[in-house]
Amino acid sequence: MLNVPVARHRLENGLRVNLSVDRSTPVVAVNLWYGVGSRNENPGKTGFAHLFEHMMFQGSANVPKNRHFELVEGAGGTLNASTWFDRTNYYETLPAHNLELALWLESDRMGWMLPAMTAEKLQNQQEVVKNERKERYDNQPYGDWDERIQAMVFPESHPYHHSVIGSMEDIGAATLEDVADFFRTFYVPNNAVLTLAGDLDPSEALELVDRYFGEIPPGAPVPPIPGQTEIPLQIGETVRAEVEAEVPLPRVYMASRVPPVDSDLFHGADMMATVLGSGKASRLYRSLVRERRIAKDVLSYVFPLQTGASLLLLWVTGYPDAEIDTLEKALVEEIEGLGSVSQSELDRAVAMTETHLLREIQHVGNRADLLSMFDQVFDDPARLNSEVERVRAVTRNQVQDLAGEHLGDDNRAVLTYIPKGSP
Amino acid sequence: MRPFEFPEVTSVPLPNGVGLRVGRMTQLPLVTMTVVLKGGESVLADPQAGLAVLTGSALEGGTKSRSGPELAEAFENIGSGLSVHTGWDSTTVSVTSLADRKDEAMALLAEALLKPGFPPPEVDRLKSQRLAAIQQRRMDPGSLADDSIAHFVFADSVPYHRPLAGTPDSVGAIGPEAARDLWSGRYRPEGAGIVVVGDVEPGEVESLVRSFFGGWDGTQHAARSFSPEPRTREGRILVVDRPGAVQSEIRIGQVGAPRSSPHYFPLQIFNTVLGGAFTSRLMLNLREERGYTYGIRSRFGFRSKAGPFVISTAVATEVTAPAVREAMSEVRGLVEGGPTPEEVSQSRDFLSGIFPLQLETTGQVAARICELLVYDLPAQFYATYRDEIRGVDLDTVREASRAVLRPEELVVVVVGDGKEIRDPLVDLGLGPVEVISPT
Repeated sequence: MLNVPVARHRLENGLRVNLSVDRSTPVVAVNLWYGVGSRNENPGKTGFAHLFEHMMFQGSANVPKNRHFELVEGAGGTLNASTWFDRTNYYETLPAHNLELALWLESDRMGWMLPAMTAEKLQNQQEVVKNERKERYDNQPYGDWDERIQAMVFPESHPYHHSVIGSMEDIGAATLEDVADFFRTFYVPNNAVLTLAGDLDPSEALELVDRYFGEIPPGAPVPPIPGQTEIPLQIGETVRAEVEAEVPLPRVYMASRVPPVDSDLFHGADMMATVLGSGKASRLYRSLVRERRIAKDVLSYVFPLQTGASLLLLWVTGYPDAEIDTLEKALVEEIEGLGSVSQSELDRAVAMTETHLLREIQHVGNRADLLSMFDQVFDDPARLNSEVERVRAVTRNQVQDLAGEHLGDDNRAVLTYIPKGSP
Repeated sequence: MRPFEFPEVTSVPLPNGVGLRVGRMTQLPLVTMTVVLKGGESVLADPQAGLAVLTGSALEGGTKSRSGPELAEAFENIGSGLSVHTGWDSTTVSVTSLADRKDEAMALLAEALLKPGFPPPEVDRLKSQRLAAIQQRRMDPGSLADDSIAHFVFADSVPYHRPLAGTPDSVGAIGPEAARDLWSGRYRPEGAGIVVVGDVEPGEVESLVRSFFGGWDGTQHAARSFSPEPRTREGRILVVDRPGAVQSEIRIGQVGAPRSSPHYFPLQIFNTVLGGAFTSRLMLNLREERGYTYGIRSRFGFRSKAGPFVISTAVATEVTAPAVREAMSEVRGLVEGGPTPEEVSQSRDFLSGIFPLQLETTGQVAARICELLVYDLPAQFYATYRDEIRGVDLDTVREASRAVLRPEELVVVVVGDGKEIRDPLVDLGLGPVEVISPT
């Protein structure tokens, strides 16, 4: 159904390169995935992959501080980066004739970042990231939910036990030596995927990529992920935590381990979550929000993860006077109901997922990011084009079996938030 | 540099007064269909605040022939969904679907919009949800700061002084028939638009629209008029007290400019220099130089009347006063001294370069076309947008910012720990500092 063109190349230093031509608009997306995320952080270094991402914008051998932003914005482009459990991505989208600028900037920091690092820059970005943590976690109602849920779903020995943002203490303790070690270990061409999508000439683009990235020496193979990466796909029990906090409404979070993103069962888990709680015809919305009117809102989502297990997340927000036990009980009833899934509701979930994917890839930047992802995770960027077929192949039986296997009381983390001062 | 062309738009007037616009984007088999109704929350008096938002969301309650769940199933069977957005100046009701499901999608859109059921239990349920959402906003420091700055910038006679979705009192007072009444008076074809963008043929769309919307009639109630007066002309600082808060949410604002302002383009450049991009003065100073914040931005809310100009950031409690001082000095410095020629040219290139990136999806393009209808902008507006941006020079930026902004009248709202931040804020000498409780 999809027909996103993609040509693969590999430079001698191991950099994987994908080119996807689309000349409908004179813009080009440059997207770089590094195979490093919070899962690669050692004990005492939580949050470092993300802090390092900030340092990547602090200049490199030929690019002074702030110049990276100035050059891309001055060229009429947008840029950003993000750090996640399994990867870190850097991206810019800009007028097509400025492709070379983006390649130069990305290659300068991939090859020659360290000469520009100073203690002052590190200290500045430590403050910025501490503020980011305060803004998103500490000064935000329910802001620390993901940190708590991760620690409940994954054992201390597993790399997903800690959050991507990391602890204040670890953020503050990072040193320039950590920056240099991390750079030499993970920011090497053989640990990266570069995707260019949009209005480009493939042979010209490849030549530019080779010119700017070709001379960056390869690094050693990246070290194994610390800790215990193999885990059972069930927690083994129901883990509970209750938080009394400055929140306006009571809320129940429930999370479970489900198959990792590269498992054949992943799409089944994804459709299970969609049937359960995506859209206004979904079970949770229909029952808890519309009919019983005990929930103000519901959410259901699978975080696609690579290392051992993915994470399925549900939440139900109650009205001010809601009993937390009633909310949890209602959620469990709907989960148990997944023992029987109708073909029509599965068809709805599939149709919504298809439209969603098409809407996503309207953005050239998202297209590039997905190609990088499929390359990194599956060694096959063109897999994007058959994604819809895999979603369509999910059956009722699979969804029912997955529900039985992964949503029982032997695989739940239940985190409840209760407004401070409520009886 | 290859030129970027805004998608070709065909305009078809229909007998009932609806303007039909069809834009072609054929890269992917998708279509977005939007009905845009002029007059959003700003046509309502304070006691009715939130009713337009509630009415829009109550369309999901079902139609004359389908219950709410049946309507949701019908949309989701074709991989779509009803998306309703009510702002100050308009309500848009939209669906996006695969192009080969457009007939069904438009039939459902028309049914939801023209034959809503507004069953009382559903209206009541949505009202409860809205009330709970208001409660959530009040405990979220960022939303509380947004709502507070709006209140302290605009006079009580201006609807913009209140939260868009209303207050506990106004929403609590909404009766079972109110949504239907608003719908009868305002969801009318005169002055409304139907915007269809995607992999479609204009002729085909026209006949679909004629068959599903041909019977839509009636005229809109007149909008109420108001003048966007400020609450005060005195600079002042309000501290909304949250004892123990680890951060302060800061908003600095005043009455800005309307969408029809002759200064529209120069103000966009001004804002890019001040706080509209990564390399803006505010970001470079408060984030990259001082590490006070994760981010700081400024923006003009261009509405049918002058909307707010607001600077927003969140900073650690202990640097609250210095952060306010720095932000104030940046805005004052830029209004008084003007930008540098490099900043102007950098901002022109930025805004004209990112323009195509804001028009990648059928939904984005449809929303832009709706804006033309809501604000009575010329059909050529987007075709000439980049030329207009490129035509802005240093003098026009300076002139525009001086005509619109009065730095000595800026109002500061800080949601944070009053005990810790009050005295340092007083020491700034920017005006009276008042500590108030969140209401």
